[in-house]
Amino acid sequence: MEQSSPSVVGQIASDPALENGAHPTGDAIDLAEVRQILAQFHYRDFQEAQELILSALQEINEHYGWVSLPAAEVVAAHFGTTASRIYGLLTFYADFRTEPRGKHFMLLCHGMACYVMGSQRLIQHLEDDWGVADAGTTADGELTVQVVNGCLGVCDRAPICKLDADYIGDLTAEKLNDAIRTAIAGGGSWRDAHHPVVTGSFHDR
Amino acid sequence: MTDKLTSREAFAQFQRSASERWDALWQGEKLVVSVQVDSSSVAKGALQVLAACREVFRGTDAIVREVSGNGAMWMEPAVEIKRPGEPPIVYGWIEPGDVTSLLAGELRDRAVGVRGPNGFAGIPPLSEHPFFQHQHRIVMEEFGVIEPDSIEDAIARGAYGALAKVLFEMTAEEAIAEVTASGLRGRGGAGFPAGIKWESGRKARNRPKFVVVNSHEGEPNVYKDRRIHEGDPHKILEGMLISSVVCGADRAYNYIGGEYPLGIRRFRKAVADAEQLGLIGENILGTGRDVEVRVGTGGGAYICGEGSALMYSVMGVRGQPRTKPPRSVEEGLWKRPTILNNTETLAAVPAIINNGGEWFSQIGTATSAGTKMMTVQGPLKHVGLVETPMGVTLRTLIDGVWGGMREGHQFRGVQTGGVSAGPLTAEQLDYAVDFDSMTEVGGMLGSGGFVVFDQHVCPVDFARYLTAFNRVESCAKCTPCHRGNPALVEILDRIRLGGGSREDLSLMERTSKHIIDLSLCGLGQVAPMPLLGMMKMYPQDFLDHIENHVCAAGACPIATPVVLATAAD
Repeated sequence: MEQSSPSVVGQIASDPALENGAHPTGDAIDLAEVRQILAQFHYRDFQEAQELILSALQEINEHYGWVSLPAAEVVAAHFGTTASRIYGLLTFYADFRTEPRGKHFMLLCHGMACYVMGSQRLIQHLEDDWGVADAGTTADGELTVQVVNGCLGVCDRAPICKLDADYIGDLTAEKLNDAIRTAIAGGGSWRDAHHPVVTGSFHDR
Repeated sequence: MTDKLTSREAFAQFQRSASERWDALWQGEKLVVSVQVDSSSVAKGALQVLAACREVFRGTDAIVREVSGNGAMWMEPAVEIKRPGEPPIVYGWIEPGDVTSLLAGELRDRAVGVRGPNGFAGIPPLSEHPFFQHQHRIVMEEFGVIEPDSIEDAIARGAYGALAKVLFEMTAEEAIAEVTASGLRGRGGAGFPAGIKWESGRKARNRPKFVVVNSHEGEPNVYKDRRIHEGDPHKILEGMLISSVVCGADRAYNYIGGEYPLGIRRFRKAVADAEQLGLIGENILGTGRDVEVRVGTGGGAYICGEGSALMYSVMGVRGQPRTKPPRSVEEGLWKRPTILNNTETLAAVPAIINNGGEWFSQIGTATSAGTKMMTVQGPLKHVGLVETPMGVTLRTLIDGVWGGMREGHQFRGVQTGGVSAGPLTAEQLDYAVDFDSMTEVGGMLGSGGFVVFDQHVCPVDFARYLTAFNRVESCAKCTPCHRGNPALVEILDRIRLGGGSREDLSLMERTSKHIIDLSLCGLGQVAPMPLLGMMKMYPQDFLDHIENHVCAAGACPIATPVVLATAAD
């Protein structure tokens, strides 16, 4: 099995700010908790370890909304691989974020149904009126937007977005504005609405 | 908790008691309320409807079930009510606040149809509704009928019967012969005959062997595989097990797109339940056969729908395709023989084993046997997921099944084959929907997703959208795709802004040819197809942008006020 490079790991882990996953927008990832999540992903051999890496990253990404570098280090150590390998996965697969989410999180569907019903205009609108582009967060840290190139699968209500836990369909720019204002005014965050999606044993043993 | 079933007898016994309980449920004196919950109805409040129903019936002997949607997204959230002495009636557009009056029998006007052969009290059978009447459901047969989380429901309705037949009554050769005779072709888009694939899988000598199900479905317009996971995960699992048994595979993987949390949850539940019953794992039904089932999840990369990329993703690295040969059936996952099938293909297998390949080959057309699940998007009245025999025309689908255009929307065209083919216009709707017919005009069945667009969509802008999708989703391994698609987008943007020239049209054609001829994988080789299709079908729109600086749809950023003035003239 590959071993993680101790010099790099040591350097990053010794930075107290990074050890807590601290970030300018103040979101932190508790590494002890990450280790707890990883404990579900036990493996019997090399192949199984490799197969579980993506699922584990997804679980962490779902839980915290992103995967920090220190968290990636912990994942690498758990599966006996390198941090660069993990980082390579985080930057290749669109679902993963390497920066924290804002307080509210929007998945804006840009599948073909939504495109033919005008989602392009909504993306432009978010940029113009809210100053937030794909995968970006507003300056005040209130809202992160992720444009979904795949499909949210609610095509009869296109264009649609998922804001925290709520789907808002038949979107217009005004409806989008209202939804964002309501969410921000209501306080809370995407976490309140968050339910772990993938539960149960992994590899179903 | 049931013990593992260790013989055919034990399985038959379990089957009998499950169907007795099933019959008792539907013939009994209890009220049965089935709320249709799937990823699209959840977006419209189906979980709240379910909770409201449970609340109303708390402490009574009524039965509240969580079933999946039946594909009719236009009537969601839907609730089916079966009263004693009446057939089950499906009601549409039920909000949580409607539950009380619905149960009091006040919302008769929202009854869409009766699930069953005959109408009741003036409500026609569901199967007479235009949305359902052209359908022939094989894979979707149990959608909205069984509780996907209940393996007992599934077994009562015949699940795993085909697996038992393969294990106890058939040799591997016989089972493969049925699949070959059925004419079943891969439902992921390529249309490769499943029987031939299985045969080469069975003959491969390296060990261990693997079966992999491609449930990634990364196209921006298809949601059929997600719905099979949500509606009847047992069909997929049974197909995987049959494929593993006849090809001699030791392990079967289902690689599911990570965007499908509900489908993943229901599939995992199906696997856990089947394992508990001894249908998977070691010594299946006492036959001495072992098949391990594993679930992998994708991370939102379109390229992972490509076979070799998918396998790299299962192996936990970046999903980037490799050159072929060797084909995956010789050297796939972990460099071992791997039989890769689409979800829908495998989900059709149990019915083929049960009814015979001959039966399946009689449905559909001569070269495209069977049924196909199809999804539609766009401004149509009855948007939803359907399963029709191959060979039905697009006109029947669009004007009949999907109810035609909504008010105020004029049909402009229909994009076929996802991001891998071109559109068809109103004059071309009489082409049959099967693997081969549409290719002569640049269309494609692909994985069965159609996108209808209206006068507000500009073909240039749509071509830009489709090309930009390929630009974002290119895995960046090979240069023609990685650099070629951004170049196309750049030229298209020039045209959209009104700065294009006639030269740009031939430049796009040349660039497209490079991408098609030189890209490494199948996805790269078809990436420019939507653009070429749009240029072929709507040449005037491209010329209008270039020469008159006019975007008739008003979608492109050139001179929008001028367009409005022209439209008003």
